[in-house]
Amino acid sequence: MKKIILILGGALLLLVLYKTVGSSLPEYNPERSYVDLETEILEAFILAKDSTTIELSEGHFLFSQSLSMDGKKHITIKGKGMDKTVLSFKGQTKGAEGILITNCNYFTIEDLTIEDAAGDNLKISESKNVTIRNVRTAWTGTISTQNGAYGIYPVLTKNLLIEGCEAIGASDAGIYVGQSKNVVVRNNRAFYNVAGIESENSTGVEIYENDIYENTSGLLIFNLPKLTLYGKNVTAYNNRIYNNNIENFGVKGSIISGVPKGTGVIIMATQNVDFYNNTVEDHVTNNLSVVSYLVFAAEEEAEAIINQSIQDRGIRAVESDYESDTAYNPYPGNVSIHSNVFKNKFWFPTLSNEYGWLMLFKNKATIPDIVYDGILPDGASLQDDEHKICIGDNGTFNFVFMDAAHDFDAFSNDVSPYTCTIAL
Amino acid sequence: MTHQRILLICLIFTCCLSCQDEADKRIAPKAKKIASVKPLIQHKNTEKEKLSDYGFFKLPLANLEPTDQVVLYDLNTPLFSDYAFKKRFVYLPDSTKISYKNKGVMDFENGSVLIKNFYYPKDFRKPEQEKRIIETRLLIKENDAWKPLNYIWNEEQTEAILNYVGKQELVHWIDNEGTEKSVSYAVPNLNQCKNCHAKGKNITPIGPTAAQWNKTYSLALSDKNQLDYFYEKGILEELVEPALRPKLPVWNDALLPVDHRAKAYLDANCAHCHNLEGSAKNSGLYLSYNQTDSRKRGIYKPPIAAGKGSGDFIYDIVPGHPEESILIYRMKSNDPSIRMPEIGRSVAHTEGLNLLERYIKELAQNK
Repeated sequence: MKKIILILGGALLLLVLYKTVGSSLPEYNPERSYVDLETEILEAFILAKDSTTIELSEGHFLFSQSLSMDGKKHITIKGKGMDKTVLSFKGQTKGAEGILITNCNYFTIEDLTIEDAAGDNLKISESKNVTIRNVRTAWTGTISTQNGAYGIYPVLTKNLLIEGCEAIGASDAGIYVGQSKNVVVRNNRAFYNVAGIESENSTGVEIYENDIYENTSGLLIFNLPKLTLYGKNVTAYNNRIYNNNIENFGVKGSIISGVPKGTGVIIMATQNVDFYNNTVEDHVTNNLSVVSYLVFAAEEEAEAIINQSIQDRGIRAVESDYESDTAYNPYPGNVSIHSNVFKNKFWFPTLSNEYGWLMLFKNKATIPDIVYDGILPDGASLQDDEHKICIGDNGTFNFVFMDAAHDFDAFSNDVSPYTCTIAL
Repeated sequence: MTHQRILLICLIFTCCLSCQDEADKRIAPKAKKIASVKPLIQHKNTEKEKLSDYGFFKLPLANLEPTDQVVLYDLNTPLFSDYAFKKRFVYLPDSTKISYKNKGVMDFENGSVLIKNFYYPKDFRKPEQEKRIIETRLLIKENDAWKPLNYIWNEEQTEAILNYVGKQELVHWIDNEGTEKSVSYAVPNLNQCKNCHAKGKNITPIGPTAAQWNKTYSLALSDKNQLDYFYEKGILEELVEPALRPKLPVWNDALLPVDHRAKAYLDANCAHCHNLEGSAKNSGLYLSYNQTDSRKRGIYKPPIAAGKGSGDFIYDIVPGHPEESILIYRMKSNDPSIRMPEIGRSVAHTEGLNLLERYIKELAQNK
């Protein structure tokens, strides 16, 4: 009897340990003492004439609704610093965003914190010449699927600078640049998000001097079908991307929820990517991967099969869907990876996803530093002009060619076919 | 004994760990009301401060009895706004006329004003008796563009005052079944007007279309059509013959086919955003009455940018299964990051949902 109790107790202890060490999600609990200046600040956002600076004083301002601004020029919104001026949307009952800026030209927001919006904390859409500087966006408490999707979310913008910002707790991406042109993302910090920093369907993007850590996945350079703009010409350098291993807390059904934890950098279906002088370390799945959209489409396909009842009544149309977008190129190409430092303190791949298992069996249980899925369109061949992946001097690193399209038949660690240079 | 105690402690500890997870993040904390030391912006008001300044209505204002150049109009299927009643008027400047359009919104001259009053009868079974008017929204046509302004009624119902920032107001009524109801009614702020009234970068009216106006006129003595009435009154020109006029079905007319009613309901409640030029143009879901592409109508269509609005469901509409359809899920929800429409309602529209659930169920039978 005592024995049984001991075993049971031991099992419980293990469970407790697992719960505390294994999968507990981090929390962010700044001290807050809220004041209500909602009407005045809202009025300022609505009635501000062009060429106005709205200066916000120190304080933790609580709002029950979104602050929105539309169609204005030369507006600056300025706080007293991200630790001093806090705009909180905790428990908001109207609007999904915290701050929503649309159709503005020459818009700057700086020196403040935006917290706990129901949806995105800061969304800027269809605007030009936008600067987001020294802005923190966060969701407080233990991070969870309840948190809003994006922290800093400029979409359909032109000439955009994001610098000195901090993004915490987004259930999609902390800093997300979508369908934008001429973008600089520098000197930012992103942690406790599903994706730290994401460039999606954007072109002319420079990402440098950022610290990206303790997210599910660090830096994503994505290009998705069926959007207004396709992503290419992305440069990332001098970034420190490490220890992005937290559980994925993205909303089921979103693309981001399919991203495995412990992925440092994912370059997906994007052309002309220059990735150099970065340090990427300590990820349980892999440090960097270069993949096609098919890797994600396939996963969604699998999910649809699990849901047989849905499958019976209609066809999950992900694949035909993206193939109908004839202007979309789902394969990466002209990707250059050089002069980076790859390290890993982990010595065993995670078994929480199929990539980990694959590396366990195929890669002598080594976590790869650079993975290339090797999926190509019909008629194309590896390293042809459109699908060139060049891996230069990156010190010592473990390379994996997955050959994902052929059941991993030609799985290989040989990097020599990829030693080349591209002028980008 | 000691082992059992350890076991017990472990059990309690594990329970605590697994139960603490989700404290509701959506509860608003307390905040102390403060005032700004100096104004945040310079603002000089050039708009009329009071609704009575326009002279749209005879006194007492609360009777909403129109003056000479103000005409009452009505729609086939209106937008649901937390069960509020609406009284709509158009003000036409001297000797101007409305130009009839078969498609889209009628053409109004500069100076025209669309006037929409939102009110709650105390008892819905006696709508003409005691009522509480909450707000009057104006769309003013100036320099070939529409400008929104909003006026909130005072407690005494003697005047409505210009408002930019919106307001939350608790209203009570007795519904058609005799049940007491209440809702925290949200008067929108000025920026929110554009959320529904957007057409590209401009603002547009939504209601005054031929399809919405093509109905029996409520003030006419006989069964006169509203369009004919306006034409005979001399305020509408270029009207086409009755057979050529489009007509939006009345959503709650039980004599009409369910799918027609449901499509009309979706047109009036969703299509102002869910069209190619509206706020929801990036959703791929387009719900205008004449939309024939079933995928664009949401049938077996996966969401594009719904985020957690998808509620872990896969398609906007699953024929035969309203309970698995994102469309129903979002129209039922009162969570601001999930609910549809995004603004303008804080309670679900039970009667509208019943109709849409029937429509989705019947979609499976039609296959």
